[in-house]
Amino acid sequence: MARFLVRRILGSAATLVGVLVVVFLLLSAAPGDPARLATGGAPGRRAASSEALEAFRAVHGLDRPLPARLASWLGAAARLDLGRSFRDGRPVTRRIAETLPATLTVNGLALLLAAGLAVPLGVWGARRPGGAADRVSGLLLDALFSLPSFALGLLLLLLFSVQLRWTPVFADPSLGLRGIALPALTLALVALAPIARVTRRAVGEALSSPPALSGRARGETPREQTFRALRRAAPAFAGLSAALVPQLVAGSVLVERVFGLPGTGQLLADSVFSRDLPTVLGLTLVSGLAVVVSTLAADAAAAVADPRIVDGEGT
Amino acid sequence: MTRFRSVRTRLLVLAFFPLVALLAPLLARERTTEPSVLARLVTPVPFDPNATDLDARFRPPGGEHLLGTDDLGRDVLSRLVHGARVSVGVGLAAATLAFLAGTLLGSAAGAFGPRADRAVLFATGVVQAFPALVLVAAGAALAPPSPFTAAILIALTGWPEVARLVRAEALRLSIAPHVEAARAAGASRRRVLFVHVLPGAIAPALATVPYILGGAVLLEASLSFLGLGAPPPSASWGRALADARESLTSAWWCVVPPAVALFLLVLSARKVGEALSESR
Repeated sequence: MARFLVRRILGSAATLVGVLVVVFLLLSAAPGDPARLATGGAPGRRAASSEALEAFRAVHGLDRPLPARLASWLGAAARLDLGRSFRDGRPVTRRIAETLPATLTVNGLALLLAAGLAVPLGVWGARRPGGAADRVSGLLLDALFSLPSFALGLLLLLLFSVQLRWTPVFADPSLGLRGIALPALTLALVALAPIARVTRRAVGEALSSPPALSGRARGETPREQTFRALRRAAPAFAGLSAALVPQLVAGSVLVERVFGLPGTGQLLADSVFSRDLPTVLGLTLVSGLAVVVSTLAADAAAAVADPRIVDGEGT
Repeated sequence: MTRFRSVRTRLLVLAFFPLVALLAPLLARERTTEPSVLARLVTPVPFDPNATDLDARFRPPGGEHLLGTDDLGRDVLSRLVHGARVSVGVGLAAATLAFLAGTLLGSAAGAFGPRADRAVLFATGVVQAFPALVLVAAGAALAPPSPFTAAILIALTGWPEVARLVRAEALRLSIAPHVEAARAAGASRRRVLFVHVLPGAIAPALATVPYILGGAVLLEASLSFLGLGAPPPSASWGRALADARESLTSAWWCVVPPAVALFLLVLSARKVGEALSESR
């Protein structure tokens, strides 16, 4: 078990470093001089003096060769120092920390909502495979899989803000639940479909298996069997929640734009737009870390629930 | 599944979108002459997608403009028809590129020994550790926004799925009896790969192409929505939705058509994928 975990952690760390190197090189290879861009060298505006450019490069270490910059950035990142933004010169960690609460609140709320809606929906469909409930929930899930999150968010805005006037047209965390209900609902609907599908499959298979049939003959109720099936599906749910993290990160970028929510996703979109290299790198690290850590946690949970996974790894 | 659903019907539904995309310049353009019956049939939408008319801003649906007009007085239906060119074009190009790259890398991983295998697997891990949108958005800073750049970037995030499938099949096939027989008969490595392994390894990956197409369409729309996709005045559906956000309170008819069009395109692509994987 310990060896399994160590190997997994080392593998994930290598993946993460690979991700960062790719993004670093990608952004450094982009056309245009970041110093010139950051000091206001946009077309039509007066270019900064060459002394100012030199000073900017020295402050941000842009005058050193690429491999040295990459190495020192990785070293600093390991000490939780992500450098300073090209935009306003403030530490990247602080800029990220400022936006993280709004994003995490919305995402947490969304996950709660999604799980609360999706598990009953999946169980409902699994009770009678091919029945009316199964077909209705199947149609609903197909629809949710095919509608992009931002289009869904815009349609919800039309309904709840413009027609019914229940919520503000722009998300506002200071209004409490009413201010963030719509972005949370949008993200929840994005996460709902995969959770419901896994529930449907796990419960459906368990209820129609030979042991379940013989259990039914001995007087077990479908209710008991459903709960047991849900418990036994724990590794599948763990893997699923890991798979949901990248979706939620991408969803946040779009949904925050739709609702004008000042969160981490907006920060990423703005930083890509303004070529704020340190901030983009920092956010890449954070989202990559979120994905890798949740995958690791899911692997560990699956290995605890089913020791055969550890043995299989040995080959 | 309880019923067998034909792949062909669903493919025909999906084919509606490339057809509209191909015929867009004919279907929706400025009508100069007095509308004859024939012209009405051939060109049902008599407006140029980029023709602005500031006297006709935010006209509601009905009348001359079937789906209304947007903030610049452009015909929504005409822009919808032309927007199909962006969505379908980028989607198809990205899916094709992703499939080719995935097949090549996946079969190389399966056929060229453990070192190539590990390298390809590591690369798929790196790409998949990312939310695809983050990768594509970061890459969009590299080149001036265009449908071409978008297609390449989207393909870059789509190939690992194909590669993993092809690799697994190639590994399984490379110890299959007919491949061993071919090897024993003295076939070269290249012949074994291309004649005996690849044809069988591609089949399961082909069934995922419609899903990749659907994902690529969604990614392109997301990219355009963020303002990183095809530049204006392109009629991309994602950009139309971003513009519609500004006038949400006054013009719902700018939001609903592109959202519904995106939904139907992705849904029909997914349905083809479903039918393909069920019929195997």
